Amino acid sequence: MATIENAHFTTLKGAYDTETMEATLKVRRFDPETAKSRFDTFTVTIPVTATVLDALDAIKDTCDGTLSYRKSCRMSVCGSCGMRVDGGAALACKVSMRKFVEAGHTITVSPMGNLPVIKDLVVDMDPFWSKIRAIKPYLDTKGADTPAKEWRIAPVDTALIHKESLCILCGCCVSECNSMESDPEFLGPAALAKAYRFVGDARDQDTRERLRDLNGAHGIWDCTRCYFCNQRCPKGVDPRDAIAKLGAESFKEGFTGDEGAKHAKVFVDSTYKGGYLRETELVPKTIGPVNALKDIPFALQLARAGKVPNPLTPHKAKDNDEVKRLWKLLEKEAKGQPRRATATHPDAVQEG
Amino acid sequence: MQERYAYYPGCLASLSQKELDSSTRAIAKKLEIELVEMPSVTCCGAGDIHEAKPDYYLHISARILGQAEQSGCDTILTICNVCTLNLRQANMALKEDAALLNRVNDNLKEVGATTYQGGVDVRHLLWEVSAGEGYERFKSIAVKSLEGLKVAPFYGCQILRPAKILGFEDSDRPESLERLIRACGAEPIDYPAKVKCCGFPIVLAREDVALGELVQPLEQAMDAGADVIVTPCPLCHLSLDAWQRKAAAYSGREFGIPILHLSQLLGAAAGIEESELKFKRHVTRLSPSVKAKLQVPSVVGTKV
Repeated sequence: MATIENAHFTTLKGAYDTETMEATLKVRRFDPETAKSRFDTFTVTIPVTATVLDALDAIKDTCDGTLSYRKSCRMSVCGSCGMRVDGGAALACKVSMRKFVEAGHTITVSPMGNLPVIKDLVVDMDPFWSKIRAIKPYLDTKGADTPAKEWRIAPVDTALIHKESLCILCGCCVSECNSMESDPEFLGPAALAKAYRFVGDARDQDTRERLRDLNGAHGIWDCTRCYFCNQRCPKGVDPRDAIAKLGAESFKEGFTGDEGAKHAKVFVDSTYKGGYLRETELVPKTIGPVNALKDIPFALQLARAGKVPNPLTPHKAKDNDEVKRLWKLLEKEAKGQPRRATATHPDAVQEG
Repeated sequence: MQERYAYYPGCLASLSQKELDSSTRAIAKKLEIELVEMPSVTCCGAGDIHEAKPDYYLHISARILGQAEQSGCDTILTICNVCTLNLRQANMALKEDAALLNRVNDNLKEVGATTYQGGVDVRHLLWEVSAGEGYERFKSIAVKSLEGLKVAPFYGCQILRPAKILGFEDSDRPESLERLIRACGAEPIDYPAKVKCCGFPIVLAREDVALGELVQPLEQAMDAGADVIVTPCPLCHLSLDAWQRKAAAYSGREFGIPILHLSQLLGAAAGIEESELKFKRHVTRLSPSVKAKLQVPSVVGTKV
């Protein structure tokens, strides 16, 4: 294969001889002045080790200098180059081009979803940041003095929030969030993972207020569990799992008033009572008996198709007393444990 | 594919979605696989118990996995996406962490329940019949060609994502349903929302948000010319079928597209009768032209 001749790789060229390949990319363009979008197709020569970001750099240097996208570190740390590659959000600097070229596949590069497009692949991150700000992304020690020395927490407590601390705020999880498509005000996976990072922090003193706020409209119970966020996150944060942890923390603190929490409670109670879900209890106990009555025409449609099980003869699993005993055992065990990790202010700790 | 499976129908197939259970049993009989009953199992928690009481969720999951183990089966057969993810997720956590498994087993022992030694896999019917020997066996029983039937596959979320727990196929470009639709002699229809969410987990708590999600597959499947939608998940089915009229009111568009369980589509191709496939248990009824294309014996209007 030839060595690289174009300007972009002159620095690389001096460093080592790089094998090259020819790659074709289809890139979504958006011109804010005309408000028109289109696809442009580019073919560039890039090193065999090139990423999608390297390919975009080659396009910008050799084909079209007006192509706009964000980048900075080129090593999956800064979180700037989030964009869609074949429809799925990813860091452009983390996706290798080689497999596409070898498969003869032309990739499509487009801006992230759920955020307004400013130009080409650049999205407006303001809605993203306003949600991050909304969850108070800082430790709240409730007025305790700034410690004179560093505030250490035990490794076991750090482990509780380790995954959520890995977030680089790139927005890939938000891009494909199905609930946010439907409710743009939903706090969404990035902000909620960040919220758990503080709810789960042993030093934070604002747990109850945080959880109260997260249990309202557009909060944790908006999540539809599509798991796109876990799938897309380039750093293994698993935002959906963080949202589930916020649900569990809410239950520990007694925040069970949201319809989402009530829905979850019916499942817990059903297993205890008889094993399987009590479907006929799910509607009135989630949305309340009055709203359930308003939905009677809908219930009748279901009943006509035989989809309303008889509430008087709920499913009874065999040996369900085991489950009852299990529940009681675990509740007793949980009572003996602190509700959450806490860390003592360092100035109060006697140096040993 | 195994000869024997510990059968875990889950709540919906045992309650409001009984047609899924009966059509699954009928197709299993045709495939000559034995479904071993587990009468003492509970609900998998549907993600709700995982969210509200994660420790309790792990324990009831271990109890389910343990019962499968005790029945002498090494695989649980699921017919619901949500059961599949929840059982696989717990199974992975228990197998990866010996200390956790020990603690859970100590508690199970204390209440007199079956313990779990970590020897069970959890697999969805879709995976078992869309590849390998299971696929070949299905093709051999698919005696009827559902020619002319345009089928929109709808995967649902929790059979695809997260791939590190599910991982049967490329979660962005799955093709197992398409492969089976073709094996039935029908034509798969492609549309982007086939891998997206139906909104069901939040349809009671956040109906508007859920309907905003639900209208996408309905609209796109119809625009692409589908006669029916097929899904491997009874929750997606309930959403697409029973909530279809609410989605119509929400979007101001009429739908009226029948939704099939995977086992019903396979069953129709295998010549299983309406008495077992039970299409009459759907809220959105089959149109005469779809009935004709499905060729189900004893379906009104297409007597054989």
